[in-house]
Amino acid sequence: MRVFYVIFSKELRSFFSSPLAYVVIGLFGLLNAWLFVSIVTVMSMSVTPRSLVYNLFDSGWFWMGFCFLFPVLTMRLFAEEQKMGTLETLLTAPVRTIQVVMAKYFATVTVYLAALVPVFLLFLLFRGVTGQAEAFHGGALFGAAVGLILIGMANIALGVLCSAMTSNQIIAAMVCFAVIMLHYFLGFFQYFGGMPGSLMTAGLGYVSNVDHMRSFSEGLIDSRPFIYYLSFTALLLAMTHHVLEFRRWRV
Amino acid sequence: MIHVENLTKRYAGKTAIDRVTFDVGRGEIVGFLGPNGAGKSTTLKILTCYLSATAGSAKIAGHDIFTDSVRARQHIGYMPENVPLYTDMRVAEYLNFRARLKGLRGRDATLGAEEAMETTGLSGVSSKMIASLSKGYRQRVGLADALVNKPDLLILDEPTNGLDPNQIRQVRELIKQLGDRHTILISTHILSEVEVTCGRVIIINHGHIKASDTPQNLIRRLGAAGKTVIEVKTAPNLVLEELEKMPGVESASHVMSRGDWTVVEIATEPNIDLREALHELMIDRKWPLRELTRRTASLEDAFVGLTKSLDEERAESH
Ligand SMILES: Nc1ncnc2c1ncn2[C@@H]1O[C@H](COP(=O)(O)OP(=O)(O)O)[C@@H](O)[C@H]1O
Ligand SMILES: [Mg+2]
Repeated sequence: MRVFYVIFSKELRSFFSSPLAYVVIGLFGLLNAWLFVSIVTVMSMSVTPRSLVYNLFDSGWFWMGFCFLFPVLTMRLFAEEQKMGTLETLLTAPVRTIQVVMAKYFATVTVYLAALVPVFLLFLLFRGVTGQAEAFHGGALFGAAVGLILIGMANIALGVLCSAMTSNQIIAAMVCFAVIMLHYFLGFFQYFGGMPGSLMTAGLGYVSNVDHMRSFSEGLIDSRPFIYYLSFTALLLAMTHHVLEFRRWRV
Repeated sequence: MIHVENLTKRYAGKTAIDRVTFDVGRGEIVGFLGPNGAGKSTTLKILTCYLSATAGSAKIAGHDIFTDSVRARQHIGYMPENVPLYTDMRVAEYLNFRARLKGLRGRDATLGAEEAMETTGLSGVSSKMIASLSKGYRQRVGLADALVNKPDLLILDEPTNGLDPNQIRQVRELIKQLGDRHTILISTHILSEVEVTCGRVIIINHGHIKASDTPQNLIRRLGAAGKTVIEVKTAPNLVLEELEKMPGVESASHVMSRGDWTVVEIATEPNIDLREALHELMIDRKWPLRELTRRTASLEDAFVGLTKSLDEERAESH
């Protein structure tokens, strides 16, 4: 636990001592502020059955920015250490590889949470300023937060794995982005020709980030997405551990 | 302190080290010497648990490096080749981080970092960014990192690589000082380095351990003879005749003549100093003498002898 904390705080410091974290948090916040204003404008002009929370997190613009977040936050983590050779000093210290993986992972999760804060502040600010309680209810906001955290945890684990597989940050970022986009579009395939209620459609629905996010934004917190995202996260982190330990295997 | 048995490492079909076996005792300063590509870094990376071996075993302070790797690493301060560092950190901050990573807590970590900076002469640059340091200072940061938690064993991979002669001298001095408190294994491809700092030398070439002995013994064992040069005012045949009779002389050869002066090179048995006897001979014969120089065989001669004989063996076996 001590080793975890030492690496965790070092990683956090290095996130916030470079402009990267600020740029990411700032751009993501700006994108969402703009989206928020646009959606509020549209909603004030026409009647919509959906809440403000649902509309924001169901917007294609939101997902665009969201998908960019992960490669940018994770590409550095291991790729840079491998390129600079510092992975050698790090892993020859008396530390367990799993501690290193977890510390870097949770440091990134922390930065990700910091990037979500401004978005949720928008909603609270809106409610405080306009007093429009009907635009959304608290449960929806809470559900959306849970959903974003779960999806983010899995995506960060994916980015960590990509970064561990190469010493080139750009390649790590591109592979991570490609897989996230693939995953995103996979969720839409259920609407193309599949028989409603078939196993295939159900399967595609189960992996769909957008579908899960819709239920979360309606305040529905189900155990299935928890199992899905958390087991995915665990699998990806275990794979990262194996990639890093591979050098130590006797082959 | 280090016990290595039949360590073998193959990279995708290429054997980097082959059945390497050696021991390093507590308190020793051992030089790990070999030309580029000999397998030094590979061996050290395995010892520090960064790489696995294909076969064989090794122990650090009694802990198996494969089954008890974290405990083995607690005893090692390692400085890899080319000294990788986090360039976006400040010197003191980096050393403090490394100290805590190696298990020192709070105040102990701060003190450990300060002491390491003092030992390596970094106190003046403690708040500088590592990115802004010169190569010599980065080397010192690497060294300070290796000794920040006062480990029993220092493993240094080519610590003077890429430094200028002045910096090389400083780093060597430092290593000698550290020898009082630590066991040191230091790899290098520069001969003079081990000759001045190390009590024992392990020579590796093409992944094979070729010799392991004190520098003096290596020189003697390889029979690299000493040489004495004289310049004397007499005829070559006269002086050669006298020298052949002299005990301790293996051979004497006429190098050249400069007018009346004759230059002769005398090969002696190792560790025999003929200078006094030569001086007496010249006085006895009343031959004026204007040069008398003895050159002891260096490790360089021994090393060239060793690596050459191994290459010849290889050539024959093919
Ligand atoms: N990662 C690697 N993959 C393949 N071959 C390697 C690798 N690292 C080193 N080698 C080879 O192993 C041999 C020993 O290398 P090394 O241990 O670095 O030598 P030294 O440190 O003595 O210069 C060299 O022939 C080198 O080409
Ligand atoms: Mg090397």
